[in-house]
Amino acid sequence: MSDVDRSIAEAPLPTAGTLRRRKGLFYQATRFVAFNFRMMKMVTRAHH
Amino acid sequence: MARVVILGAGISGHTAALHLQRHLKKGAEIIVVSPNSNWNWIPSNIWVGVGKMTKDQVTFPLAPIYKRKHIGFRQAKAVAIHPEGSPDNPQGFVDIDYTDPTRSGQEEQLTYDYLIVATGPKLNFAATPGLGPDGNSWSVCTAGHAEQSAAALETIIEALKAGERKTLVIGVGHGTCTCEGAAFEYTFNVEHELRERGVRELADVVYLSNEYDLGDLGVGGMTFAQNGFETSSKMWTESLFRERGVRAILRAHVEKVDPGVIHYEELDGSKHTLDFDFAMLLPPFRGVDMKAYANNGDDITDDLFAPNGFLRVDADYAVKPFEEWTPEDWPKTYQCPRYANVFGVGIAFAPPHAISEPRKSPNGTIISPAPPRTGMPSGVMGRTVALSIAERIRHGDQAPLRTASMAAMGAACIASAGTGLRKGSAAAITMYPIIPDRKRFPGSGRDLTQTSGEIGLSGHWTKLLLHYLFIYKAKARFGWFMIPE
Repeated sequence: MSDVDRSIAEAPLPTAGTLRRRKGLFYQATRFVAFNFRMMKMVTRAHH
Repeated sequence: MARVVILGAGISGHTAALHLQRHLKKGAEIIVVSPNSNWNWIPSNIWVGVGKMTKDQVTFPLAPIYKRKHIGFRQAKAVAIHPEGSPDNPQGFVDIDYTDPTRSGQEEQLTYDYLIVATGPKLNFAATPGLGPDGNSWSVCTAGHAEQSAAALETIIEALKAGERKTLVIGVGHGTCTCEGAAFEYTFNVEHELRERGVRELADVVYLSNEYDLGDLGVGGMTFAQNGFETSSKMWTESLFRERGVRAILRAHVEKVDPGVIHYEELDGSKHTLDFDFAMLLPPFRGVDMKAYANNGDDITDDLFAPNGFLRVDADYAVKPFEEWTPEDWPKTYQCPRYANVFGVGIAFAPPHAISEPRKSPNGTIISPAPPRTGMPSGVMGRTVALSIAERIRHGDQAPLRTASMAAMGAACIASAGTGLRKGSAAAITMYPIIPDRKRFPGSGRDLTQTSGEIGLSGHWTKLLLHYLFIYKAKARFGWFMIPE
């Protein structure tokens, strides 16, 4: 097993709850708003 | 009337053209020269490459847009710049060869008062024997390439459905490639598609990259603050690879692609082969083949362009070790140091050095990513240079130039990991600044409050939203300028 394979094999796996949240419509709607707000802040900063 | 010539109609050049027209109206003549008749929203080529979008959904003809906006358009390839003009006329000019089928074989000399070089990259498939659609691997660099990849992928899926085992290799086809993010996206979109089609178990999906660690993405990796801990993009990316069962081969330089076999060298100097049934390997980039001449006819190509073919601008190109790299090395105004009316933006400007730590194998092979400068930074550079030129045209040559250093700029990157309004996902990343500044931000070199990453369905929604927003903007429809770069 290579170093890369070993490192991947030891990486943390998301829990069932995390996987559910990644697909959950309500939670993802809030993340959509939060991420786009963060992105807009960054974009605004890049334009000045 | 001042004339501004823009070479290239990609994200950077097209953005510059629209902003110049908006700010100068009829106060200047703006001419765009592009060998392509269509504009392409390249980030969505990934979805064309898995058959989820068509070529027509990610491209549109440029000519009607430029006609409506009173911008001149030449479907042609720039072959030489004469920044000092000719012995008879000191005004700079560009030699162009028409690629427009109706003017095939014709040439023209275009004089300019200001020149923006936004030619993007030459897709240098020739750097690796057998690489590319004319060789033994596929590409998603253009919408046409992506369509070919989708067709090849479909053939593989049919074979998988028939019960055959297949190996799919996706990554970069040379030790000096950039755009690892696109390779990452295509890997996980293919993996997603295989699962959706019920054939994942029979497919071995391998990511092949020149990155030292997963999550490097050509920006030296990132550090995120999550749940009270600092985590790395390496761990975060490795977690996704483990979850989705994708193998990775890193620190690799592809030497040759034979039919069904990739030959590669690893950073420790060892040589390997990898059998494949389907391979999508991105090419390295270099500047387009353009010459430059002084007014006496002397070839000054090496003065204007770096050895990699990209235009030298106001960066610090002194060769220095990684430990001595600073944010100040990076250009601010994108002005050519020798000719004040020439600017280079987007992929076309020569970066002073990489962002990721440079590495060489014992055989002397460079195996480390070149710096990405696509998407949002390209658009911001195009706009910034357009505003600088507009101000100089209105107020004279002493008007100060605007700045947009990648060392003072953040970026958002949405890396798709599969499509579908309910089943899609993407890694949504923000980073500030793009160029790490370890004096301002000890440790990772980036602001932890503005550098973040998360994976989920909402990332896919954002990427889809950006697809529609940027195509709307590029079509210069009502209020286009309200959509920031």
